[in-house]
Amino acid sequence: MEPPVDPVAPSTRFRPRTGTMEAWNAAYVRVEDYLRAHRIHNRLHQSRLIQAVLERAARRHETNPALEPTTLAAEEIEAAMDEWFAGILDDKNIPPDRIAAAGRVALLISDGPQKWPYAFLDRHHVPPDFARAMRESSMQAGPDMQFSNMVPRPIDFGTISEAAGETLERFEKWPVLRTLVLWAVFLATLLAIFRATR
Amino acid sequence: MRIASHDFIDRSRLARRRRTFFSAVFMLTSLATWFMADLLWQDGGISALEWVLLILFVLLFTHIAIGFVTALLGFYVINRGGDSRQITSTVKPGEDVPLASTAVIMPAFNEDVSRVFEGMRVIFRSLEETKKLEHFDFFILSDSNQPNQWIQEEVAWVELCKQVGGFGKIFYRKRRQQINKKAGNVADFLRRWGKSYRYMVVLDADSIMTGEALVKLVATMEKNPNVGIIQTAPRLVNGETLYSRLQQFANRLYSPLFLAGLNYWQQYDGNYWGHNAVIRVQPFIEHCALPDLPGSEPFGGRILSHDFVEAALMRKAGWAVWLASDIDGTYEEGPPTLIESAKRDRRWCQGNMQHSWLLAAKGFRPINRFHLGMGIMAYVSSPLWLLFLVLSTIHVFSLVRHPPAGTTGEIQTSLFGYAIAVPEAFTLFVFTMLLLFLPKIIGVILTVQDRDRATSFGGRGAVIGSALLETLFSALLAPINMLFNSKFVVYTLLGQGVSWVTQKRGVGDDDADWREAIITHAPHMIFGVVWGVSSFIISPPFFWWLSPVLAGLVFSIPLSILLSKVSLGKRAQQWGIFLTPEETQPPYELRRLRQNLAECYKHMRPLETLRDDYGLLQAVLDPYVNAVHVSLLRQRRPSEESRDYFAQLRTRLLWKGPEELTTKEKMALLLDAESMIWLHRELWCQPSHALAEWWRLAMRQYNVLTAAPITALYR
Repeated sequence: MEPPVDPVAPSTRFRPRTGTMEAWNAAYVRVEDYLRAHRIHNRLHQSRLIQAVLERAARRHETNPALEPTTLAAEEIEAAMDEWFAGILDDKNIPPDRIAAAGRVALLISDGPQKWPYAFLDRHHVPPDFARAMRESSMQAGPDMQFSNMVPRPIDFGTISEAAGETLERFEKWPVLRTLVLWAVFLATLLAIFRATR
Repeated sequence: MRIASHDFIDRSRLARRRRTFFSAVFMLTSLATWFMADLLWQDGGISALEWVLLILFVLLFTHIAIGFVTALLGFYVINRGGDSRQITSTVKPGEDVPLASTAVIMPAFNEDVSRVFEGMRVIFRSLEETKKLEHFDFFILSDSNQPNQWIQEEVAWVELCKQVGGFGKIFYRKRRQQINKKAGNVADFLRRWGKSYRYMVVLDADSIMTGEALVKLVATMEKNPNVGIIQTAPRLVNGETLYSRLQQFANRLYSPLFLAGLNYWQQYDGNYWGHNAVIRVQPFIEHCALPDLPGSEPFGGRILSHDFVEAALMRKAGWAVWLASDIDGTYEEGPPTLIESAKRDRRWCQGNMQHSWLLAAKGFRPINRFHLGMGIMAYVSSPLWLLFLVLSTIHVFSLVRHPPAGTTGEIQTSLFGYAIAVPEAFTLFVFTMLLLFLPKIIGVILTVQDRDRATSFGGRGAVIGSALLETLFSALLAPINMLFNSKFVVYTLLGQGVSWVTQKRGVGDDDADWREAIITHAPHMIFGVVWGVSSFIISPPFFWWLSPVLAGLVFSIPLSILLSKVSLGKRAQQWGIFLTPEETQPPYELRRLRQNLAECYKHMRPLETLRDDYGLLQAVLDPYVNAVHVSLLRQRRPSEESRDYFAQLRTRLLWKGPEELTTKEKMALLLDAESMIWLHRELWCQPSHALAEWWRLAMRQYNVLTAAPITALYR
């Protein structure tokens, strides 16, 4: 079991023992970008988190150097978030595959990164008002449903419309007939114009 | 069976009003028909062609006479200080009527997301200020089938709820299948949540209603338990192009006359226009689920113009339907250009033509049949007018070839001692013009004689000048619309839709789309030129009679371009032309909307390469947008086949980019929560070199912009 991410006390002497500098730089940028995408703009907090995440990724890389440091770092921060969100939203009975989504929604609605700039991913010092805000943040797309039966009722179109409807439906079944009728109408128009201009 | 508000107006009084209306229409039409028959009789009898002309004339003139008499009755009502029989008068000024639960619903289909949600914000805030917000819930009912629109809507909904504290008050529903268009969307809402509300206020995506107007509507419904629908008369606003400002000026200046007249004779047999109206939910659920028409679209199948039919069904069930034209604070936007207006007409034409099936429907009220008939005539009158003009040309041609003996076609009159030849048709011409233009003249006089009202239109001079210009433009536009509508009617009858040139997107305000204008209007121009030349060859005087019609057709391309210009619209505004009260004294809600939208639109837009799939980009890349989107999706257990299908779509999206997927495939992915979670994780986990170039660019670009999140509200 890996030790939890603790951004408050990252190792001061950490340096990856395996992998190239370029690969770890790319991993650093990816984690930084991901934190920025979460609107974590507190640079101090951000750098502590990045270091903690990279430490965990580096330890995994030592056991399997064939893996990409970027992938490992991204997986580590995802795992850390899943764990942290699950801890904060523990009483909400959320399926594991939705925990990250639920946590992010709560974070977004509560404006967590802006209002509590040091709280993100900190397991040991979670401000109670932040935890409460997270738990109370809910996004309800619709109120509780109360189903009604709305079934189309037939309209009695009257004799003329009914007859016309049947004729039209017959027309649709016989496109040749429709074309012939169109030709007849066209011919009749021509004849009428011819007659009128004599 | 409910009894309509007969206690509100007694039957004999209403019958008297209707008798006046229909008698006036009948008498005017009879008189004009007499003139026309007299004209055709001059050569000693009426031929078969002349009979056809006469019948067409009667149909067309009746249509004009109905509008004229409605306006004249409106003038009578306004002149005596208003109608005592208005549904809103049941709520006394200052009376605090307890309200009932009301849903304000706004169906949306690929609309400008900023406009939809900023509109909703303005309505929400306005209601908040009335202190009656607790009675209202808001629903955005999306049928958008474009990934960008869908994702932007979700983001905008969350942002809006956060900003106004609207969670639990403002709701968002996206249908997976867009069954039965807007009517189906509303029915879907009613099936899910209808029971929770006594009323619903239906809005369009471009509607604005003030809190005061909403409260007044619901209060009026509460005071009148027999009323099923109250329709307001929305005013056209926010026009920027010359065309839309022209339309909104005409709507604002002339519509009070027509609306007052309409309410005078229709009373509780009113109509529903589809939006900016309040509806009693329970009877609507019981009686207004629409069946299909015989045959298939466009003439049969699903009812497209559902509103008229719903009003008829409510009336059939005994519920009153009222027009509340005196409620202020109800607005909508009109199409910006002539071509956009024609596109809308195409849909409406198809829908209204379908109503032919319902004209003889059992149990419908006569006035509802009349409304349906008028809706059909609004479009059918165009091909009839065209036929009338073409047959007239043929008639003149035969008269020229075989001139009847002993007729000059002219009579002499004396003016200041000079003998002037007056054509026989002059009386009929003046009579017709009177019917067409008198309502406009009355509208201008009513405005000019009231100093405050005239000032709200920019002053007396501005009203008169604008009305003259509007008359000129409407005369030029009438024949173009005649050809448009004739085409729509014929195509609908032939069972075909109408194809359109896709409108170019992303052009600047004044980069007029000449290509679309030329392709759309070239047939009009050619028709006008051929017709003009032919008629001139046949008879030069006849050419001059036809010239107002021909002018619009021949100059349709430059006219369409000219009217679509925003710069001209703005310049006209500076010059005081086509000003409306909503422009000179904009209400707070419209001012707020304009400010908010300006704020939205000034933000940086995504790179052009990314723009087409920016919604998908956000839903996959942005952790919050992804989370919101996934949370709004239903949890489903996909089959093995669909798992394989989604797996190959996902890998194609990440390794090859969105351009390798069709819109349908992108929508399928967006609908699958499992895929969206996977895509988000995988995108952030993969090293850059493993991703498609498009995603690499997306990540670089996104990182630059994430400091200020790009949402629909800050696009």
